[in-house]
Amino acid sequence: MTIPKKSRWLLAAAAASALALSACTPATDDGGATTGGDGSIAMSQGVTTEPCPGSPNPDNGCIYLGILSDLVDGPFAPVSGPLTQGQEDYWTFVNNNGGLDGFDVDVTTYKRDNKYTVDEQIAQYNQINGDIAGIAQTLGTSATQAILDDVVARDLPTVIVSWWSGFEFDPNVIGTGYSYCTESIVGLDWWASENGMPSKVQAVGYPGDYGGDTAAGVDRWAEVNGVEIAPWVETGPNAVVGNQDAVVQQVLNANPDVVMLGVAPGETAEIVGKLAAMGFEGEFLGASPTWNKVLPESAAGPALAAKFHYLMPYDGWDGDSQAVKDMHEFLNGAMPEQHGYAFGWALGYPMQAMLEEAIVAGDLTPAGIKAQMDGLEVDYKGFQPNTVYDVNNVQANAVQAVNVFKPSETGSFGIEEVANQFVGTTFDKTDYSSACVVL
Amino acid sequence: MTHTTDKDLLERSSRLTGRSVRLNFEGSTGKVTSRVRRGRPSLYTSYAKDSALLNTPTKKFWVVVFAIIVVVAPFLVASDMTYLLTTAIIFALAGIGLNLLTGYAGQVSLGHAFFMGIGAYTASVLGGVSNGKVLGFELDLAIALPAAAIVAAVIGAVVAPLATRVRGLYLAVLTIGLLILGEHIFKSAAAITGGQGVGRTSAKRTLFGVDLTQAYMLGPLKITPEISMYMISLVLLVVLGIAARNLARGRVGRAFAAVRDRDIAAEVMGVNLLRTKTLAFTLSSAYAGLAGALLSILLGRTVPERWNLFLSIDILAVVVIGGVATISGTIIGALFVVMMPRLLEELTHVLPFITTSSGGLLNVFQLQTILFGVLIILFITLEPRGLYGLWIRIRNYFKAWPFSY
Repeated sequence: MTIPKKSRWLLAAAAASALALSACTPATDDGGATTGGDGSIAMSQGVTTEPCPGSPNPDNGCIYLGILSDLVDGPFAPVSGPLTQGQEDYWTFVNNNGGLDGFDVDVTTYKRDNKYTVDEQIAQYNQINGDIAGIAQTLGTSATQAILDDVVARDLPTVIVSWWSGFEFDPNVIGTGYSYCTESIVGLDWWASENGMPSKVQAVGYPGDYGGDTAAGVDRWAEVNGVEIAPWVETGPNAVVGNQDAVVQQVLNANPDVVMLGVAPGETAEIVGKLAAMGFEGEFLGASPTWNKVLPESAAGPALAAKFHYLMPYDGWDGDSQAVKDMHEFLNGAMPEQHGYAFGWALGYPMQAMLEEAIVAGDLTPAGIKAQMDGLEVDYKGFQPNTVYDVNNVQANAVQAVNVFKPSETGSFGIEEVANQFVGTTFDKTDYSSACVVL
Repeated sequence: MTHTTDKDLLERSSRLTGRSVRLNFEGSTGKVTSRVRRGRPSLYTSYAKDSALLNTPTKKFWVVVFAIIVVVAPFLVASDMTYLLTTAIIFALAGIGLNLLTGYAGQVSLGHAFFMGIGAYTASVLGGVSNGKVLGFELDLAIALPAAAIVAAVIGAVVAPLATRVRGLYLAVLTIGLLILGEHIFKSAAAITGGQGVGRTSAKRTLFGVDLTQAYMLGPLKITPEISMYMISLVLLVVLGIAARNLARGRVGRAFAAVRDRDIAAEVMGVNLLRTKTLAFTLSSAYAGLAGALLSILLGRTVPERWNLFLSIDILAVVVIGGVATISGTIIGALFVVMMPRLLEELTHVLPFITTSSGGLLNVFQLQTILFGVLIILFITLEPRGLYGLWIRIRNYFKAWPFSY
């Protein structure tokens, strides 16, 4: 049977293309680095000898960094919007004070909105990844992991906004503060130091990098201290699960002394308020994302004031660290929209440390900046303890100091500090050598 | 009277028909020269040519031009544009599936995202890496992609008998119910999907043993991972698009149209309703499964919340804006839906009152949402055949010019 003429043609075309494709060879990468105008500093993408747009220092060169954050519409925009503003203000502050040894830093030109979704993150990242020297902020654990392969392939130094413990062991990214896992451990240590060892603890949170990590920390603390732990209550944002009644029921049944909350502010208020109304006698500790300044005005206000303590690795707005003083000075005494503004400001410290080391080493290529990440020492100006980033020695170097706040009518953003830089004893007894919760 | 011979007949007839010489009607195609053909694009001299897809010289020419453009495009544009074009191709594949179901067969379905999710997770489980929390068998894409289509098709075939019992609005509500059920299953099945909010990585890009996460050189051309993904999606779109077009033109397509127009009348005429509707759901789900698998591979990581009602509405917008019951319209619609947000972003540089931040008169995301909604309304009321219908009007205007009235 002869093959019909048209099929013969198609077969020949398919065979020819297969043959052509088999001629593919793997591509090798060429460097592309050039030395800059002053001859001694190597630079490639994202660094120019021209000044930044709107720069106060016309003789400085410019280092362009990217921001991928939830700016306008997504679920975290109320927090990450002010956070990003804080970050931009930090670099304006640095540029106004002369920049970094001949360079200003621009984080606005390549600021992109990822709407807290993986799709947008990848699309926006693809737009900027060839033009930046590093990523000043990437928000969201899923979103960050989606681009991580390409970030590693391009050797882009990256600062993340995510407190999942796994990232502390990743040599390709740097975060600030501590992990949710550490927060639970040291937070419970503080509570025990104030109120005596509890007989039963419980964790409530969203599954995954946030609540899952928090719960893992509670597990570790309970194991080391021989305290009974009630089953972890998994929940979700009200937009997904409707309300937190199931959580309230499970906590009432378990009746712990302390509940560690790994949820968002709205859900925090609902859980604490409803449990207090039902006569629950235990107390609550909230992880860093659980507070919003409007919570005291909600129906749960009195319950929060009586039973809730808020944990943060950072100095509060009323603190006396140099970092907070710089923020006050920059804003001329005005208050930002959310206390998350300070989180964004703090993102500047590790990036500045990296860039300064890179300038000293004479290599402002992305790979050159990233090379400074290993063993980097960052001075946080009192905002958190000065930190050394060494993935081979995380337990010894990890931040484990917590600031504890309680709701207050007089404090800024509705909170008042009750403990500053508290360090417990349990963290050193745990084995912090990999992520507390695997994703 | 002279005795007429074949030769006489031939000579005399040549005077009647100009240059045509052979008049043997049985078994011959008849030769018509190009002088006669020019200006007569509808002159078909064989059944095969009459029913060909590319039946006019204009169509043949432009198909070759477009083929060259789409193959060359990724080498000429920036890589993030290649990524967007690949997304458009994948949306077009999903749109073709939905068009077969909703456009040709008239079965309203809002559950398309569910089948895309099924395909995505089938491919992720078969082709992805296992990390202790999620399953992954690291098989080749040549196994994972067809499996994604087949598994989604099987589930579509299971769901179809339910759909045959209801019609119209009730079918739409039933498919929404399917979508919500699917979302819940995806969020709960953490071993497959990674669970709510966490997600999982997708299938590895290994096709026939070749690792497509690296770049390759084909002579002077550099084939980056973006370009290889684009090419795979393009080949699948071309093959499956032509298959869908031929299906729509054939016996099955006519059965679909009969069911769409009035299914009771179709049943009276002998069209087996159960078989036809089941076939429509199965085919549509297969296309959706494949598109979902490709989308998950393109993104690299997916969360269960991705396969939600908004994705179904996006694909429905592709179908409505592009053109109901057309294949080329679906492709135009997909390009439009994917490129419009990007175009609007570029517009913010030109028009000062549209901003990317939350201040200003109108921010670009609000503009996108508004424009989307307005376009869907306009197309449904004014031009039901969508962008393809607009194109047909323009084409006919110029075809009939200067007698376009």
